[in-house]
Amino acid sequence: MELKKQLIISIGREYGSGGHRIAEELAKRFGLTFYDYHMLGEIALDKKVDVKTLEKFDELPKTPFFSRTVKGYSNSPQENIANLQFDFLRKKADEGESFVIVGRCAETVLKENPNLISFFVLGDMQDKIERTMQREGVSRGEAEELLARHDRKRKTYHNHYCKIKWGDSRGYDVSINSSRLGLDGTADMMEEYIKKRIAE
Amino acid sequence: MAAQIAAVLIFLVMFLLIIMDKIERHIITLGCAVVTMVVVFGICMHSMTALTETLNVAQIFTRGFWYTAGEASESSAGINWATIIFVAGMMIMVEGMAAAGFFRWLCMTIAKAVKYKVIPIFITFMFMSSILAMFIDSITVILFLAAVTLELADLLDFDPVPMVLAEIFCANLGGSATMCGDPPNIIVGTSLQLTFADFITNTGVLAGISLILVVIYYYLIFHKELRVKRTGKVVAEYPDPKSAITNKTSFAISTVIFLCAVVLLVTHAQTGLTVATIGLGIAIVTLITSGKNIVKVIKGVDYKTLLFFIGLFVVVGGLEQTNVLKLIAEFIGSVSGGNLYVMVAIIIWVSAIASAFVDNIPFAATMVPVIQSLAALNGVNISTLAWGLSMGTDIGGSATPIGASANVVGMSVIAKEGHIVGWGKYCKSAVPATIIVMVVATVGIWLRYC
Repeated sequence: MELKKQLIISIGREYGSGGHRIAEELAKRFGLTFYDYHMLGEIALDKKVDVKTLEKFDELPKTPFFSRTVKGYSNSPQENIANLQFDFLRKKADEGESFVIVGRCAETVLKENPNLISFFVLGDMQDKIERTMQREGVSRGEAEELLARHDRKRKTYHNHYCKIKWGDSRGYDVSINSSRLGLDGTADMMEEYIKKRIAE
Repeated sequence: MAAQIAAVLIFLVMFLLIIMDKIERHIITLGCAVVTMVVVFGICMHSMTALTETLNVAQIFTRGFWYTAGEASESSAGINWATIIFVAGMMIMVEGMAAAGFFRWLCMTIAKAVKYKVIPIFITFMFMSSILAMFIDSITVILFLAAVTLELADLLDFDPVPMVLAEIFCANLGGSATMCGDPPNIIVGTSLQLTFADFITNTGVLAGISLILVVIYYYLIFHKELRVKRTGKVVAEYPDPKSAITNKTSFAISTVIFLCAVVLLVTHAQTGLTVATIGLGIAIVTLITSGKNIVKVIKGVDYKTLLFFIGLFVVVGGLEQTNVLKLIAEFIGSVSGGNLYVMVAIIIWVSAIASAFVDNIPFAATMVPVIQSLAALNGVNISTLAWGLSMGTDIGGSATPIGASANVVGMSVIAKEGHIVGWGKYCKSAVPATIIVMVVATVGIWLRYC
């Protein structure tokens, strides 16, 4: 689809909600660049460093008692990686690039950009567990554990950098439960919403 | 007893909040200072004297605060205003120097002098880091040195991480050599009326010997890594050091002020000028000569650090007034059985281990009254314990990424360019270097003073 002006779609998501897949689908439908953790590859290439070092600390909360901040400078690898990604996103947005971004506090980092449309995708626990069991090939118990762990990390990570709490509907344009319409149906609804917004 | 418990609790809460890193440090210490004044001095002690002694404002209006005329002035408890005025003065001077492009010019001049060869740059930058940190706070030294190292790493195609790690360590080491190099030393020096010459002939000698060993150590562990070309690119053009100078007149003035500050500090025992006078003097001269940059220079002053110091001294004053620090001194005295060897070892190693994990400034401020009591109780020379405390707090902080401010700043500066250094990588090189210096300091103090 041909875009007349910049379009940035940010998608926050619960683990197992299918938010990542929906984001990929929307990127395809609108012909946009898709950024998730692969963004680190681009950063690593630009900075001429090993991407594996960066990936270790991606979207993780900083470790309490092992981090210190002095005059705004932090030793925390997690915090420094997060800031590298935030700077990357701001740069891309300032350059006028259109893209879809998953996570990384994008709804807050890019909130000043008038062309940003932000979503938060959640899901029913049962669906999230089943999807995780299928995708990761793990038992129900393991899936529940994975869900709890990942969501706890995402929440801590997000809430460290943003005033509005992770998943709080007031922080996003739209919050949607993917269990109601299924992944494709949810993507369709979000596509419609985006089309209406960009037609304004 | 209630006052002692309250003072200890406030102190522990302050330390915990500082470590948790959720609230800005100056807000924590100022908040705890207010609680100390109200709860410890007011509710528990009903003592106006304890409050006025801790606030220590009267000291500023004494002649001895500004001019000692060859005689040591009385040691005083509470807020160490000399430290605060001196640190503020140095901040103003450094702001002026940075604005004129002094630090970048110096780094580039040295790089050019060694013909932009990586290993000679590595070695000379380690020495430069130490020497600059003897007179300027290590955060400023690392801020500029790390930035130039990144620039040179990009130009000359080497990995900047080993070089910055070595520079950070050497900055902390250089800071231990002088009275004005590291905040713990300023606190120790001004509290115990020690001079610049006292430091340079004692901790300076230990730091000098250690520096040679540390440079050899870092060369041995990093030289192979530094010789590896990252991308194989060819250097197009070398930068001209002169391009770093933003304003020739400001540059000349700030260089002269810096050299004057060094001379005044080196000779302050002879001239009788205290560090507070020197700090105030260089601040005034810097501001007068800043011209239209005056607002920028004033704005650059890190007032949060100054407020942090003020709050900290009040909280430590609470421990002092309630004799808690005396109890700690008695405990160390009884553990060591009055043996100076053991006392020195405890001071150095406990200070080092504590400083590796917690801010060394509150630790040093707390330990100064402890070593004063320890010396008085056991008839030991206070300066022997002071050198142990200085070396322990200054160098212990080098062992971990959070031990000293320079470490945090250095890690952060290189991280902005994608060079992420975790605890494992940092400690792998820094812990052995710290142990080398601690052994030199312990053995050196034992041989010379015990």
